[in-house]
Amino acid sequence: MIGNTHRSHLNIVFILALLLPILTGCWDRTEIESRANILGIAIDVVEDNEEQYESKLSHLDHTFPKPKKALIQITAQIAVPGRIPLGPESGSSGSQKPVWVLSTVGHTLDDAILNLQQEIADRLFFGHLRVIIVSDKVAKQGVGELNDYLRRNPEVRRTAWMIISNGKASKVMESSPQLERIPTLYLSAMMENAVLLGKFPSDFLGLFWSASSKLGQEPFLPVVEVKRYENTEISGLAYFHGDRMVGVLKPLEIGFFMAVKGITKGGYAAFTPVPGQKASVLVRSRSRSTQISAVMEHGRPKIKLDIHVEVDIVEKTKNTGSLNRPGILKEISAETSRHAKNTIENIIAKTQKDESDIFGFGEYIRAKLPDYWNTHIKTKENWREQFKKLEVDIHFTTTIRRVGMRLG
Amino acid sequence: METPREITFLQATAVLISTIIGVGVLSLPVIAVKAADSGAPLLTFLGAMIALLSLSILAALGKRFPRKSIIHYSEDILGSWIARIGSVAIVLFFALLSALTAREFGEVVVTSVLRNTPLEVTVIVMLVLTAVSCRNDMNTFSYIHLFYLPFILAPGLLIVALSLQNADMINLLPIARVANGEWLYGSLTIAALFQGSFIVTMIIPSMPRPAKTLQACLLAIIVSGGLYLLIVIATVTIFGAEETKLLIWPTLELARMTSLPANVLERLDILFLAVWVTAVFTTLFSTYYFTIHSLSNLLRLRDHKMFSFFLLPFIFVLAMLPQNVLDTYRFILTIGLYGLIITIAYPAVLLIIAILRKKREDQLDREHAQESP
Repeated sequence: MIGNTHRSHLNIVFILALLLPILTGCWDRTEIESRANILGIAIDVVEDNEEQYESKLSHLDHTFPKPKKALIQITAQIAVPGRIPLGPESGSSGSQKPVWVLSTVGHTLDDAILNLQQEIADRLFFGHLRVIIVSDKVAKQGVGELNDYLRRNPEVRRTAWMIISNGKASKVMESSPQLERIPTLYLSAMMENAVLLGKFPSDFLGLFWSASSKLGQEPFLPVVEVKRYENTEISGLAYFHGDRMVGVLKPLEIGFFMAVKGITKGGYAAFTPVPGQKASVLVRSRSRSTQISAVMEHGRPKIKLDIHVEVDIVEKTKNTGSLNRPGILKEISAETSRHAKNTIENIIAKTQKDESDIFGFGEYIRAKLPDYWNTHIKTKENWREQFKKLEVDIHFTTTIRRVGMRLG
Repeated sequence: METPREITFLQATAVLISTIIGVGVLSLPVIAVKAADSGAPLLTFLGAMIALLSLSILAALGKRFPRKSIIHYSEDILGSWIARIGSVAIVLFFALLSALTAREFGEVVVTSVLRNTPLEVTVIVMLVLTAVSCRNDMNTFSYIHLFYLPFILAPGLLIVALSLQNADMINLLPIARVANGEWLYGSLTIAALFQGSFIVTMIIPSMPRPAKTLQACLLAIIVSGGLYLLIVIATVTIFGAEETKLLIWPTLELARMTSLPANVLERLDILFLAVWVTAVFTTLFSTYYFTIHSLSNLLRLRDHKMFSFFLLPFIFVLAMLPQNVLDTYRFILTIGLYGLIITIAYPAVLLIIAILRKKREDQLDREHAQESP
C-alpha cells in the first residue's frame, strides 16, 4: 500500500513538472511602451565632415576598410507611446508632440542605426516603418547599400515607401503638415492617395526592389519637395540606372509615363491649344489603356505602343470659341494626341540617354522575343546598351467624352 | 501481422496532401526560379509529374502486396538481407528528413518571428509535440491529418488570391524558352519536395481497398501540386524571377506584402505563419511516424510507441548538424536529391524484380473483389 501511494505522489509530481513549461512567458515578449517604434527615416549625406560626432561603436579607428563614401546622417521619427491619437483629436492636447525626431551619423545605414540605438533606451522597432526619405544627393551615389539593410531586416515591410527628397531629406521629416499629427503618416497617406488619384504609379518598396532586380527594367521613385506651408509636393519622378538616381521627370511627364505603363487611372490635366484659335483648353485624362508589343523588324527588336486615353475638357480659356461646333472636339483630341506623342518621345529620348529603361520595355522583349533575348542580350548591362538604340513606335489616340455641365 | 483496415479513401488522400505540403512551401519558388527563371511554373509541374510517377510505382507495389508495408514486401522480393539494407536506408533517410524539416522550421521562426528565442528551443518544442502525437495509432494519425487539411489549404489559397493584386503577368513569360534552364536538375529538386508522400507505403496495409491507392495518389498530387503551382505562379508574377532569386523564403515575403482588403489585416504573414506551422507539424508528424513505424516493422515489433521518445534525441542532434541557414539549405537540397534514389529508384527496382519473379500476394483480395463487385 505504501508503495502505491508513493507512486501516485510521483505521478502528481510528474504531471506538475509537465505543466511547468506552460507557466513560462513568451521568449520574445516586448511591451509596447518599451519599444521605440520608428515611423520614418530620412537619409542625408553629411555636409561638413562631422566625423567627430560619430561614436566609436561598430568599429574602432582604422580597423575596418572604411567605405569611400561620405558619412550618412539619418533622421528618425520615433512614435512616443501614448501620444499617438487614435481617431479624431479631442480637446486641447495639441501641445505634446506625438513623435520625437532624432538624428545620428554613420558609414552605412545600419552603422547609423546602431549609433541611434546607442543613444536611445528602448529597443528600436521597424515594424511600423512607413516612409524612408532619401536625399537626392544620397540617391545619386546609389541606394543599393540602404536597400541591402532594409531587405535583410525582417521587420521592415515591403509596403513602406521610399521617397527621394529634393534637397535635405531631414527637412521633409521635420516638416509638420496640418492635416495629420504625424508627419510620416501624412507622407505615406499622400503617396497612397496619389496612386488612387492617378497621380503616381504604385511604387512601394517591394515594387521598387522588384523593378531594380529585373533584367529589362530600371526602377523609379517619387521625388518630393517641401513647400511654403510645411506641405510637401510630389515634384517629379526620379529614374535610376541600377541603384543610382540619374534624372528626374517633371510632374506632367509622370502622367505620360503612366500612360506608357498602361495605368488605367488618369489623374493629370494639360493645356492644349485649340487648332485655329489663339486659345487653349485644359483637358484632363480620365482613363488610359495601353498595349505594348515587342516585334522583330529587320533583325532588330522594336517596341510598339498603342495608347488610348479618354479625356474630359475641364476648362477653356477666355478667347476660345464654342465647343459646340461639330468636329471641334475631334480637332482638339487630335491636337492632344500630337502633343502627347511628342512628350512621350521626349521622355523616351531622355531616359535612353541615361540608359534607364523605367518603362520595362526590356521585360517585354525578354518575355515576348525570348530567342532574341537569349542570344543577343541576356544581361542587364547588354540591355542598357540596346535600350539606347531601341526604336519605339508610338500610336497615341485620344477621345473626348465629356465637357462638364456647361454648354458651348 | 494483420492491421485493422480502417483508413478510408478520403483519409488516405488527406494524409498524402498534408504530408506533401510542408516546410518546403516557403522556399519552393526560389528553388524553382533558380533552375528555370520564368519557367518556374512549368518546372514545378514537371516536378509534380515526377512525384506522381514515383507514387504510381508505390501504388502498383501496394496493389501487389496489399497487406504489407514496403519493409516487409521488399524482403519477399529481394530476400531478407539485401532488403534489410534498403529498409535501414529508408529509416535513416526519413529520420534525416524529419530532422531537417524541424531544422528548417526553426530557422524560419528564429529569423523572422521569434528573434530572441534560441533555435534549439523552437526545434525541440516541435519535435516533442510530434513525438507525443506519434504515440497514437494509425487511425488517429489519419484523423489528425484529415482534421488539419482544411486549415492548411483554405488560407493558402486565400493568400495566393489576395496577393495577386500586385501581379504583373509579363513576369511569367517566356514559359519554356529561358536562357539557362536546368530542367532535369530543377524538376528533380522540386520532386524531392514531394518525397513525404512515400509514407503511402505505410498506409496501404491499413486501407480496406488498396486498389484505390492510385486514385488517392492522383488526387493528392493534383491538390498539393496545384497549390504549389499556384504559389510559384503568384510569387513569380508578383516579384519577377530575378527578385525571387534574392529571397530566402519568397512565399513568406508574399504574405508580408499582402493585406486583407479594407485594412482588416495589414500584413498576412501572421496568418500565413500560423497555417504554415500546422503544415510543418503534419509533415513532421508523417515523416516521424513513418520512421518509427518502419523501424518497428524492421525489428519485427508489434508496437511503434516505444520509439517515439527514444528517437527524439537522435533526430534533435541530426537537426542541429548544419551550422547556419545557408548550410541548412545546402543540406536539404543534397539530401533531398539523394533521397530520390530511395523514394523513386529503389521502389522501381522492387517493382521490376517483383514483375520478373512474378511475386504477388493479392490473390485473396482479387477473389474478394470479384465476389463483391
